[in-house]
Amino acid sequence: MNAPPMLMKLHIGRDESRGFSLWLPLLLVYLLILLPLLLILLPLLILAAILLFPWGWGKAAILFIPRLCGVLCALRGLKVDIQQKDRKIVYISFD
Amino acid sequence: MNENRKKILEMLAEKKITVDEAERLMQLVDEPETSRETKKSPKYLRVTIKPGEGGSGSDFECVNVRVPMALIRAGVKFSSLIPGDAADKIDTAMKDKGLNFSLKNLKEEDLEQLVAALSDLEVDIEGGKGKVNVYAE
Repeated sequence: MNAPPMLMKLHIGRDESRGFSLWLPLLLVYLLILLPLLLILLPLLILAAILLFPWGWGKAAILFIPRLCGVLCALRGLKVDIQQKDRKIVYISFD
Repeated sequence: MNENRKKILEMLAEKKITVDEAERLMQLVDEPETSRETKKSPKYLRVTIKPGEGGSGSDFECVNVRVPMALIRAGVKFSSLIPGDAADKIDTAMKDKGLNFSLKNLKEEDLEQLVAALSDLEVDIEGGKGKVNVYAE
């Protein structure tokens, strides 16, 4: 498994002055948002897995967070670049 | 006679290796090097759209998408969490849209074969204003 991406670059808009640009250090997102959310949701997910097991949703509930982490780690290297007249319209990159 | 074959015959003459071992070594030496190298699995799936001959470069929107293969693998593993009855509903909805594809057919065991097959994938579509290229690197 790769390490999760540490930086997200986002640019939307045709015009440099009017467009929206963002360089987001994802480490802050992991530490300040994802980790607390995970700690809050984990007991609820375990409870949901126990309750929903007879209906076949137990495995999904247990494996949801590990698989989601796998998707997050796999985002490193994703790049979407749409340009017109050598100007960036949409640019999304996870490094 | 190349150097490798000479060395093998010398080792056989000095009885350092048996005849069977010498034969196996000869076969390995004779194989072309490229077939012995393991094919590196592709890291990214690239989709590019560029202006073609008929397209005007100034108005044309160029698209460059790079998707890590790890994301495709992770996505397939994530889709395996979908329970059976939900997967059936998704399959029905896709069939209604004309996509005759079943999520149940997408299995983790086949994932590496799928990724390996993608390494040979190369799609070039040229027509009208743009050129579409899909390839793995």
